[in-house]
Amino acid sequence: MTTLRENTVVRDERAVDAAIPKPKPTRRTPLTWLRGGGLWNLLFLLPMIVVFAVFSWSPIVQSVIMSLQKTNLITSHWVGLDNYIAVLTDPLLGEAVINTLWFAVLAMIFGFPVPLFMAVLMSEVRRGKGLYSALAYLPVVIPPVVAVLLWKFFYSADDNGVFNTILGFVGIPAQPWIQDAVQAMPSLVLEATWAGAGGSIIIYLAALLGVPPELYDAAEVDGASIWRKVWHVTLPQMRGILFIMLILQVIATAQVFLEPFLFTGGGPAGATRTILLYIYDKAFRNSLGGAYGEATAVSVLLAIALALLSWLYFRLTNRWSSS
Amino acid sequence: MKSARKVLLAGATAFAVAGMLASCSAGPADGDSDDGRVQLRVATFPPGADAAAYEAFAEQEKQFEKLHKDIDIVGVEYEWKGPTFAVQLAGGSLPDVFTVPFTDTKTLLENGQLTDVTDAVKKFGYAEKFNPVVLDGVTGDDGRIYGFPRQAYAMGLHYNRDLFEAAGLDPDKPPTTWDEVRAYAKQISDKTGKAGYAQMASGNTGGWQLTAAIVARGERTQTDETDGSAKSTIDNEGTAAALQFLHDLRWEDKSFGSKFDLDWGTINQEFAAGNIGMYTSGSDVYSALVRDFGLSPDSYGLGVVPVEGNDPGTLGGGDVAVISPTVDEGAKDAAATWIDWYYMQKLMDEDAAVTDAKTLADSGQAVGTPVLPVLSREQYEESLTWIESYINVPRDQMSAFIDNIWEQTPVGEPKKKTQEVYALLDTLVQTVLTQEDADISALLKKAQSDAQALLDQ
Amino acid sequence: MSIATERRGLRRAKRLADAQGDRTIVSDYDRRRRGVRIGMRATHVFLFVALIVAGLGPILWLMKAAVTSTQDTLQQPFALWPNGIDWANLSTAWNDIGISLYFWNTIVIALGAWFFQLFIATTAGYGLSVLRPKYAPILDGLVLATLFIPGIVLLVPLYLTIVNPPLVGQSMLNNYLAVWLPMAANAFNILLVKRFFDALPREVFEAARTDGAGPVRLFWSIVLPMSKPILGVVSVFAIIAAWKDYLWPMLVLPDPAVQPLSVRLPAVQSQTELDVFLAALAIATLIPIAMFLAFQSVFLRSAGLGGAVKG
Repeated sequence: MTTLRENTVVRDERAVDAAIPKPKPTRRTPLTWLRGGGLWNLLFLLPMIVVFAVFSWSPIVQSVIMSLQKTNLITSHWVGLDNYIAVLTDPLLGEAVINTLWFAVLAMIFGFPVPLFMAVLMSEVRRGKGLYSALAYLPVVIPPVVAVLLWKFFYSADDNGVFNTILGFVGIPAQPWIQDAVQAMPSLVLEATWAGAGGSIIIYLAALLGVPPELYDAAEVDGASIWRKVWHVTLPQMRGILFIMLILQVIATAQVFLEPFLFTGGGPAGATRTILLYIYDKAFRNSLGGAYGEATAVSVLLAIALALLSWLYFRLTNRWSSS
Repeated sequence: MKSARKVLLAGATAFAVAGMLASCSAGPADGDSDDGRVQLRVATFPPGADAAAYEAFAEQEKQFEKLHKDIDIVGVEYEWKGPTFAVQLAGGSLPDVFTVPFTDTKTLLENGQLTDVTDAVKKFGYAEKFNPVVLDGVTGDDGRIYGFPRQAYAMGLHYNRDLFEAAGLDPDKPPTTWDEVRAYAKQISDKTGKAGYAQMASGNTGGWQLTAAIVARGERTQTDETDGSAKSTIDNEGTAAALQFLHDLRWEDKSFGSKFDLDWGTINQEFAAGNIGMYTSGSDVYSALVRDFGLSPDSYGLGVVPVEGNDPGTLGGGDVAVISPTVDEGAKDAAATWIDWYYMQKLMDEDAAVTDAKTLADSGQAVGTPVLPVLSREQYEESLTWIESYINVPRDQMSAFIDNIWEQTPVGEPKKKTQEVYALLDTLVQTVLTQEDADISALLKKAQSDAQALLDQ
Repeated sequence: MSIATERRGLRRAKRLADAQGDRTIVSDYDRRRRGVRIGMRATHVFLFVALIVAGLGPILWLMKAAVTSTQDTLQQPFALWPNGIDWANLSTAWNDIGISLYFWNTIVIALGAWFFQLFIATTAGYGLSVLRPKYAPILDGLVLATLFIPGIVLLVPLYLTIVNPPLVGQSMLNNYLAVWLPMAANAFNILLVKRFFDALPREVFEAARTDGAGPVRLFWSIVLPMSKPILGVVSVFAIIAAWKDYLWPMLVLPDPAVQPLSVRLPAVQSQTELDVFLAALAIATLIPIAMFLAFQSVFLRSAGLGGAVKG
């Protein structure tokens, strides 16, 4: 039966096909390309191509090349992996990596739960959400340089420094803040958290809206308290956004530059010298010319490390996250 | 709609063109100017300098061009600092005439980035007049001279007369030994609550000042070997003493204040604001203190850095006027003429000195700040008498320095890998200032081996 | 779907959400319990205080300090003008320190960055998404690949490119194009715009094409007007990024006369008296804050959109 029908269908199609006059296949020539709108396609894509070629793709390639050379900007010669060996055996790089990791850990401890907590609270209030959102986002709007310079003043180690005065109100003695090797990094993280929390809060707020309300209803039917609802419904539903925010934060903190540069210049005694600061010092600190090969070698290593981290991360979280 | 596309393209093009034109420097590129004169791009001041400084320069430019009608001077902002210098140096976009500190001349020499000016120096007739120590810094291994040393300074002990008085100290008698410095510092901090003595610690200036303190205690941080290499000698008693001094002031006397990340600019700012009793820096920093940092001249005092130990010296520095190697033959003579007129003549010729002093004084620029002579001491003191009526800095408040500096041995900054070693020493200073239990001898050993590794590269 | 229909749909969705009482963790039933009500009130108070202190506090302090004398700020940082208000700080900052110039520079840089980023992102998104020539996937891949490369890798070679640009005879240092063009090479913008264009209904394009619209007409009169939301997002990102930029402008704009506020303020700090400096900081903050307050919804929507990805 089916065969008969298929044949009929096929024959019909072929008949239909034969009935329609088809245009002769054209040769692809520059003229057809032009007529087909090829020029416009190119013109629209040309700005992007030029800009990316000059300011993105080419520098990336140059970076890799430079990392394999020694140059004084006038002449360069190939040195193979010498630059890589030199930086990998440099104790200052090890120190920079540890400092960066420390910053990342602190940022995760302070900067991850706090915005989440605030967002959960904010999502519950019936009125004033707009005001709270605006207030929370305000520090994000301040230009980072202004925020750092302002906090640098707040962190003055004098007894009359702003934060020390506040501590004085509750009887705590004056602290050295960024003048102390141990307190410097946490001070930086505190300011960075303050400046960035608002952005995370807004993102979490949006994600919280996406939690299906039926799940809360179901949990309530099972007699869940508020806390259990948060733990068993909200957080798992937010898993996706939380995972993404986490890896984004790690990648961002791996490249922190502004805070250490403006607050402490890498001090005291190298306690806040991060990887980016190390690269900057290598390339730009010496006015007679930097070690460009070594600087680019470190940046290539960092890029590889971050790529590996991201790949590992997504492999792991793919197994954990719900479908 | 074709017109929309035109608008879009036109807009983009206009923006691009406007953007490029907006920052194109006016005037023709280097070489000859329109009217056949030789165009010379010369360094003036760092960006952001006082408007009055530029007025003075414009006046001097006019004077020069009147004397040399075939040369067109174009002033260019210039700063020996940061990434732009290195890149411009390599790219050849520095001014035709610019200044370089002593410490860098040897490196630039070796890289062939300076023009041989031996003939010009001989022609002007002052090859013999230069202080031989100073001239050595600009002489290459081939015996040729590559720049005109134009200015030198020695380290001095700057102090705040008002704080001295408030602490019950005599403002005309600055300390003359390191023990006195410590005692005075304690007295100032006890009586006024301000830092009695502070020191730079970051941005390579920590290393610079530490080196000065080491030299003042009779030791050196680096020695040059005959085969061209250098040996690091950081681990010595002078360094230990200098670091111990800082440690004691910071942790025992608590007279160091609460800022351990000062650099050249911020320590000047703190001093000018009356927050620091004493500190060491170049003797010529008075001009900047008054002009850029708001110091009131009455509170300023200058003495010599105390010396002790065998073979102590005072760290000095200075800069050299050089000609860029990219300048063509015709412009080379013009460049030498400009250098001679603008930088050198005021040191040797009374009329030139008086004109220069008058121009500066008229624009409110400092005249008479204590410097070290690049020629001879007699020449320098004579030149001071020429410009006496224009001197507007309180030299009587600086008499402790002026009278005693001649007894001190000037010592040049280390020549190899200077900035890298200074960066290392920065960390040393910061560690001592921020960790009470820092093990100084262990730190010194490590610093020396790290420095040697740098020098061996 | 026409725009009017779209708007009606959005309004209906909003009403529905409101009707559900913004169904969140704490249900209506929960709220009837007294313990929960007290807890909610406490939450309100806590949020209010925390956000005021943390969000508004430093800014208010800065505004106060901007018109306070140096000595007062140093010795009594929390006193309210014990020796009177010093309005002169603001005019000194604006004129003598030249904040007005750096302010203007910042605006110029932001506007140029906005234009170039929008231009590149829309033309590239259009080409890759709508026009889709045969080689589009290759370009797409190349552009996306740059998303995974941290900016630091580009820093040194890009700097050298600016100092010695190909074809152009002289260095591009101190030229705003050195800031605008690298910013325009932004894969994230292109990604956003392309995805948005991908989601546009193709029937509209077909209809326009059969009406005889060419690629430019299609772009200008059809695609762009339909893309206002994403254009708003890209614009906000671009302007904020340009306003915040520090390291790159510091490197390529060494001449103070062309520097933006973010670069100039740290550089003049040591030569500026504290009260004038704080006034300068306050001025530098005012415009971003004013813009934020005026365009709050756009800011917050973009901020949420930028990261709202479902798990």
